[in-house]
Amino acid sequence: MPYDVIIVGSGAAGLSAGIYAGRYLMKTLVIRGHFGGETATAGQIWNYPGAPGMDGYDLMKNFQTQAKDAGAEVIDGKVESASKDGDCYNVTVGGKTYHAKTIIFAQGAERRHLGLPNEENLTSKGVHYCVTCDGPVYTGKTIAMVGGGDASIKGIIDLAKYVDKIYFIVRAPALTRPEPVNLGDFGKLGDKVETLFDTEVKELVGESKLEKIVLSKELDGSKELVIDGLFVEIGAKPDVAVPTSLGVALDKFGYINVDNVMQTNVPGIFAAGDTVNHFGPFKQTITASALGAVAATSAYNYHKKHGELCTKHWKVNPK
Amino acid sequence: MADKPKVKIYSTPTCVWCRATKEFLDEHKMPYEDINVAQDATAREYMFKRSGQMGVPVIEIGNEIIIGFDKARISELLGLRT
Repeated sequence: MPYDVIIVGSGAAGLSAGIYAGRYLMKTLVIRGHFGGETATAGQIWNYPGAPGMDGYDLMKNFQTQAKDAGAEVIDGKVESASKDGDCYNVTVGGKTYHAKTIIFAQGAERRHLGLPNEENLTSKGVHYCVTCDGPVYTGKTIAMVGGGDASIKGIIDLAKYVDKIYFIVRAPALTRPEPVNLGDFGKLGDKVETLFDTEVKELVGESKLEKIVLSKELDGSKELVIDGLFVEIGAKPDVAVPTSLGVALDKFGYINVDNVMQTNVPGIFAAGDTVNHFGPFKQTITASALGAVAATSAYNYHKKHGELCTKHWKVNPK
Repeated sequence: MADKPKVKIYSTPTCVWCRATKEFLDEHKMPYEDINVAQDATAREYMFKRSGQMGVPVIEIGNEIIIGFDKARISELLGLRT
């Protein structure tokens, strides 16, 4: 029999949807790509109610346990394709096709890259996108951070525990987006951090590893800056290839377009978390969780009204 | 039956994929040596020479190097059923 709902993604949105769908007694499958999503790599989280200072990875493990306890089945893999099959949907993962009455896309977003020519070659060879993962590798070294938003400020606060010197490269003329509490901690780092406003990285230099970067303007008489590592925190772009293949419409920013109950333009398909722009740039564990809960409730309501159509289709066309 | 190859994980304390790798090996009761490259500069240099990577985890199974938590490759090399 088909699943009542397949949830694509296992971050805060996907696992919250799994908890709610499970408790609605829906036959639920969660497809786990990057376990825990952005929350898992966020380090300590201080603004998720009820769990102050909890490590994001541990928080996501709790979410997952709760989803499994509610009855959700979890498998590993990346969705390769999806298609409509009568009144059901097919979702293919690792060469195996699963069938569902509804889908919730909660696969999150991929970290944005700088788009420089040498960037892919130097990824994990001096160029990094995850401070909690790779920051401690640079203990006692000199690094740079590209950013300007809250994630970059949090990243610098974490990196300062390990590295000797941080150049903070900010395209804007001032810091306006970070949370005040994080800016307060950032301000206490003193000379360890040198902030370069109105500055961009124009070139990454190195072959087997990053050796230096070229800036858009001079620092101490040179545009070249010798560093050991570069961390990039310039936001994320939603992963929408599979949903758009089903005819799901995007908004003008490239996120999945949803209404107030997380329904897309395609009946039976819902979306939540960082794949949607419901709260604009305010993308938090708590907002992703809320969106996942709403999406699961909408999938449940849709399933109650229309799920029988898929069941009938399935009986006539068994797999 | 042949002995299982030795497993070394080059990791940092805060890396979630390092934790996921270790939890996976724990689940399969597979012993491993956990090497913290944040503290051990010699191991960090070795990791870079062997893998070309400054990102973690790097997993050494016998003479094989695996970059990142590649569950399928780890399972294959260790003969684990997943």
